[in-house]
Amino acid sequence: MDQLLYISMTGAKQNMHSLAVRGNNLANANTTGFKADLENARSMQAFGPGMPSRVFAMTERPTQNFTDGLLKTTGRDLDVAIKGEGWISVQDKDGNEALSRNGNFTISAAGVLQTMQGQPVLGNQDAPIIIPLPVEKLEINEDGTIEIRPEGAPADALEEVNRIKLSKPFAGELTKGEDGLFRSTNGQPYQPDATVELVKGALEGSNVNPVQEMTHMISMQRQFEMQIKMMKTAEENEKATNSLLRLS
Amino acid sequence: MHPALWISKTGLDAQQTNVSVISNNLANASTVGYKKSRAVFEDLLYQTINQPGGRSSQNTKMPSGLMIGAGAKVIATQKNHDQGNVQTTDNAFDLMIDGRGFFEVLMPDGTTAYTRNGQFGLNDEGTIVTPGAGYPLQPEIQVPEDAQSFTVGEDGEVSVRLPGQTDSQVIGQITITDFVNSSGLEPRGQNLYLETGASGAPQNGIASENGLGAIRQGSLETSNVNVTEELVNLIEAQRVYEMNSKVISTVDQMLTFATQQL
Repeated sequence: MDQLLYISMTGAKQNMHSLAVRGNNLANANTTGFKADLENARSMQAFGPGMPSRVFAMTERPTQNFTDGLLKTTGRDLDVAIKGEGWISVQDKDGNEALSRNGNFTISAAGVLQTMQGQPVLGNQDAPIIIPLPVEKLEINEDGTIEIRPEGAPADALEEVNRIKLSKPFAGELTKGEDGLFRSTNGQPYQPDATVELVKGALEGSNVNPVQEMTHMISMQRQFEMQIKMMKTAEENEKATNSLLRLS
Repeated sequence: MHPALWISKTGLDAQQTNVSVISNNLANASTVGYKKSRAVFEDLLYQTINQPGGRSSQNTKMPSGLMIGAGAKVIATQKNHDQGNVQTTDNAFDLMIDGRGFFEVLMPDGTTAYTRNGQFGLNDEGTIVTPGAGYPLQPEIQVPEDAQSFTVGEDGEVSVRLPGQTDSQVIGQITITDFVNSSGLEPRGQNLYLETGASGAPQNGIASENGLGAIRQGSLETSNVNVTEELVNLIEAQRVYEMNSKVISTVDQMLTFATQQL
């Protein structure tokens, strides 16, 4: 069969993949701390014997858009957002350290400070933060230190219990895992960084730019239609060839 | 079929739940003691289509792969237990907790429920009960039939003045109960909450002691719903919903085009 047909087909298939990436971004346009996925296409040569004339398209997710989402003020004591660059260390389900921008915390009945997804937040010595219960007031300060007022203590009796591990690894070395958490690709440990600042009582919204996503979606749709047109052309060419060979 | 159809469907589902949560908040904007809820979203698992680090030729590796997320979902509705506003009613049986804690109420099945709604009343036996259902406040307090006045102190001490007497007489003590993680309580309607594994055990105490809130007589705690905030959330939810349905119609148009042309 004609190569043209197959090459256009890979184009159309990859356009569909890109659309799925954009669709996922739009589905998460309201998810706290979500970072939009970027998508691009790359030419891929089909290697093998013969003339290397076929170049297919391949969609990739090279990285994420790391710009900050808009801050939403919630006024809740256990909500924090990161001002500018920086990451909060949490423990993933395998017990390893991973990074998140989602500062929507809760305290479990056992006193573990965790994200709404149940991932413990890491503090000093990379250990999960345990809040000595019962507390009357819990404050997360701008530098990540956690101060509590034990129940029944006077108003000025704030005591520091731990400090949320905040780090600032180079964004180019981070990749989003299958659970939506970020990890470094170079295997380097995340060094605590004292310059990362938190905003109290606020959450970082998703950084998905809906207009951009929709524009991309339209452009993908048109590209897809062009691929289909090419496939149609391939079919017509084939027909023409067949009729040439027909006797009479 | 096309994954984007299902991805956008999860987005529509999530926003639909969000709108339900928002409308429940708005419906309860003037419910005494109501605490607003918020839907919490999470991105779903990512599916690896092309593995990063896969081979692009015999000697080269791809620097990045393709991982497509499966959409979004609502993982929790989080109650915000911030204090509502004070509404002065001057009704002696209207009580409000200023600070942490809940009133304890005995349910008909013998279990204990907790409430922040302090619009109490008396039943035919003179017992202090909740409005509507008439569940007795715990510990139970009987108000004598001929009581001339009814006073509740900041610490929950209940006293009445009986006819012909100059001094008030203490007839009981309202205690309040606090939880370590009050957002872990289970709302069960009628302004009542139940203890769960996530809330921690109830800690009973005297009002305005050990960090518990004080009782204010003649006031009620309004709902902590901020109507403007809810309306903004509603607009946001609606737009995200629209965008997700746009993705579905785009995919549909693409598939139509493909099936008609080929």
